[in-house]
Amino acid sequence: MPKLKIDGLEIEVERGTKVIEAAARLGIIIPRFCFHPGLGPVGACRVCAVKFEEGPVKGVQMSCMTDAQDGMVVSTTDEEAADFRKHVIEWLMMNHPHDCPVCDEGGHCLLQDLTVAGGHGIRRYLGKKRTYNDQYLGVFVQHEMNRCIQCWRCRRFYQEFAGYRDLGALQIAHHTYFGRATDGQLESPFSGNIIDICPTGVYTDKPSRFTGRRWDFERGPSLCIHCSLGCHIITSARYREMTRLEARFSESVNGYFICDRGRYGFYYTNHPERPRRARIRTEEVSLDQAIQTAAQKIIQINQKNGPKAIACLGSARSCVENQAMLIRFCRVQGWNEPTYFETPTMAKKVKRAVARLDEQLAVSMREIEKADFILAVGADPVNEAPMLALAMRQAFRNEATIVVIDPRPVFLPFEFEHLPVAPDDLEPCLTALIKGAVHRSAAEKMGEEALRFYDTAPAEYPDAPIKNRMVKITQKLRQSRYPVIICGTSIVRETTPDVAADSALLLRAARGRAGLFYLMSEANTFGAALLSSEEGSVMDVVESIEKGSVKGLMLVESDPFRSFPDYERLKQAVDKLDLFLVMDYLPSFAARLAHLFFPTQTLFEMETSFVNQEGRVQFATSAYRGGIPISQISAGGHPLRVFRRDIPGGESQPAWQILAKLANIISLPGREMFSLSKNELWSWIAKEYPIFANVPIADELPDDVRVHLAQGREKLFPSGGQIRSGGLSRENSTLELVMGDWTFGTEELSTYSKYLQQVEKEPCLFMSPKDASMLGLKDRERITLPLDKGRLEMELRIVDTMAPGVIVMPKHRQLAWQKIEKWPVKVAMGQIRK
Amino acid sequence: MGTIKNLAEGITALLKGLATTLKILSRKPVTEQYPEYRRPLPARSRAVIVLTRDPDGEERCVACYLCSAVCPVSCISMQSAEREDGRRYPRWFRINFARCIYCGLCEEACPTLAIQLTPNFETSGRDILKLVYEKEDLLVNHGGKNNEYNFYKRAGVAMVGDKGTQINEDKPVDLKSNLP
Repeated sequence: MPKLKIDGLEIEVERGTKVIEAAARLGIIIPRFCFHPGLGPVGACRVCAVKFEEGPVKGVQMSCMTDAQDGMVVSTTDEEAADFRKHVIEWLMMNHPHDCPVCDEGGHCLLQDLTVAGGHGIRRYLGKKRTYNDQYLGVFVQHEMNRCIQCWRCRRFYQEFAGYRDLGALQIAHHTYFGRATDGQLESPFSGNIIDICPTGVYTDKPSRFTGRRWDFERGPSLCIHCSLGCHIITSARYREMTRLEARFSESVNGYFICDRGRYGFYYTNHPERPRRARIRTEEVSLDQAIQTAAQKIIQINQKNGPKAIACLGSARSCVENQAMLIRFCRVQGWNEPTYFETPTMAKKVKRAVARLDEQLAVSMREIEKADFILAVGADPVNEAPMLALAMRQAFRNEATIVVIDPRPVFLPFEFEHLPVAPDDLEPCLTALIKGAVHRSAAEKMGEEALRFYDTAPAEYPDAPIKNRMVKITQKLRQSRYPVIICGTSIVRETTPDVAADSALLLRAARGRAGLFYLMSEANTFGAALLSSEEGSVMDVVESIEKGSVKGLMLVESDPFRSFPDYERLKQAVDKLDLFLVMDYLPSFAARLAHLFFPTQTLFEMETSFVNQEGRVQFATSAYRGGIPISQISAGGHPLRVFRRDIPGGESQPAWQILAKLANIISLPGREMFSLSKNELWSWIAKEYPIFANVPIADELPDDVRVHLAQGREKLFPSGGQIRSGGLSRENSTLELVMGDWTFGTEELSTYSKYLQQVEKEPCLFMSPKDASMLGLKDRERITLPLDKGRLEMELRIVDTMAPGVIVMPKHRQLAWQKIEKWPVKVAMGQIRK
Repeated sequence: MGTIKNLAEGITALLKGLATTLKILSRKPVTEQYPEYRRPLPARSRAVIVLTRDPDGEERCVACYLCSAVCPVSCISMQSAEREDGRRYPRWFRINFARCIYCGLCEEACPTLAIQLTPNFETSGRDILKLVYEKEDLLVNHGGKNNEYNFYKRAGVAMVGDKGTQINEDKPVDLKSNLP
């Protein structure tokens, strides 16, 4: 490993490390515009010049283009190098406009910082400035090309890193222009990152335009909860309003970037209709009064109908603290444990995934980037967990083979093999690939169960075109050194998470190393599965209400009306209740119907933790204290001219604290009292769930900790002998309805964002050309789809990248799809009409 | 001997002082009686803050937040917004004169010459809220100490006027042409 000396400090770095990175490790930050640790060097800006005094390279050179080598002696403070950098800044400023006061980058602008650092104050060049016309780049990004210093970061991120092509470099030499061929919304769901990486103000954040300077914001490290990956973010709040969200570097989760759903999904927290007062029916009351009333009601029902007459629903978007406190609450009261999952199937799938993910198999997104073969089963990364697609693209750039087995018309920003098979055929298709690549002896080494799994799993996929394509894929898999299996949990069958884990085990036995990565539906699905011991579901609760055994329902940050497949049935059940208690921060449908409503705090207002889909416990600090934004109170004018001590609309409390207060009132004498201390709650969690024992909760912002269920308890290869052959189940007269996710428009919290609503696409039904021609339907025709409880009207899109025998529809905000009685949904072919 | 000398010196000093008093007594007094007489102060004296307008009569303030950042007592607050024509302006702008120490750092920080201190210092009052000035109270109809400067003519951004029309600018690059 090369050893070099920078400014008198010695450092040893890996071969291939650039001098600029070696210096950064010593804490010496060499000026840079084009170099970005996430994008690598390009040598476009020339501002990272340093003097090489001794060694293989001599003189003033670019530190981002020079590999660290043995014997180098580098000076960053050398006069010649400093003078060179000063001139570089001066010529970069030659065409830069004189607009810092009206530029949103001002205050956190790299160019501004370095101009000041380089001492350039007065423009010496008297010639005219080059100008460019700007473009409309859509809802998220504001363009101002005059500010460009041609560092190429945006194009390198947009095209090379993320794989989208609609933004790039136009023109040549000193006329180089970064933009699109024509005006229009940027197509990439990662477009917001060009705002973060632009070293000057060419791309600025449009939704937060002019709202404040960096120094004005209350900023804090937080987490993104718009999918299960749990990317790290930094929040900015001002005047009681969440204004902006940026990516926060995370070594193992998201790296330097986040997706646009995460970046612009947070507006639910400022929603003008967000309920901020406690309510009894429609009357607004104080929180304490509502808690008292709720306690009386609960005591009444408990005395009349027994402790099991009140059911609780939690949600997977709630933090660990809320989920745990709800469970603790129910246990102390002797109620049934709360339910976190919509359907029993979903509960089972997630629990199996959580049980099977062990320390050796689990991989992070950074490890996925290093894989040389990625096999995604029942996963649609761009739509379900966008940042995963970027991680997969980095693997692709390192020449990995990527295969997706999924019935939906999956799009990824790189070349990949798509095997479109029906949900029933995912498992046989997967095992056929694994059997083709793993020799029987590998399974033999793993024991009897593994051998049974190997022997009974289907070896061939019957569908000829897919089978032919699998030959080449199997060959690649056979040669791979680090294969990773990505398994979705939304559209797959109950056994698929197990089959994926077993396949990963076989691959590891054969290849020496393999990874497993599950995708889950929501930010804290993993936490819910770890904490809840019962496999109850919303469906069970609704049935109990209908039977009359449940008289009260308590929803903690849960809105079953969004996800329960049968809207009418749920509405009727709720109407039958004696007590309908809702705690939430969303203006949800359930919140409007609530008999008793309690306003809770969002992630940005409290200190919380979430467990992402790889079992990583992550922490967020509060960004601000909450309350109604000043802009909403004063309707855009100046703030009200009154003094007051409290925060207007600041009554919301963390749901777990409301629960604790409620429990302390209704608890019988002698029962344990709940404290309002977070550390006390965590010590309860650590006591009840030993896997959380090593979570360092006392720190201000603890590092992530990965938790996995104990090794060796789970039965491996449970699905041996159960996987059916593929392609046999298909009936020609029916189509299976698959409900998918879309990047924008299906995830609960982000659908409240007014900016994401503008980029949502209109929901449509996807169908394969084969089925469409059988039905005589044409692309872009309006069709009606009959469901159990009514019909849906939407546009038909015929795509050849999806499985025949399947129709795909998004669980879209704009689509009242909750008319389904039973999963899976089979639609008779003749019933889909124009 | 010493005592007599000291005595003589003391008496002389007393008489000298008395002579001066008598001399001044006969002069016209220089004391100015405020508020009967209000002395014209130099333009640079620092008292009540105003927001000036540019030569076109538009608000000069672009709500860049620099004055509020530099203010050592945090008495300035504002919210920037975008006007329909793209111009950046303060939606509201508030100075709490009960807190202001008239140090003039805001004026120094202002890149558009919008915020200026004036010689008018007569603002005391009993109701503290009356010392909280909103934008309407601060805006004046002139350019203050400089009537010529117009920030937007030099800014080089399209917020006011088209690209390439401002002082010392080339026409915008034609993306469809290969000519140098």
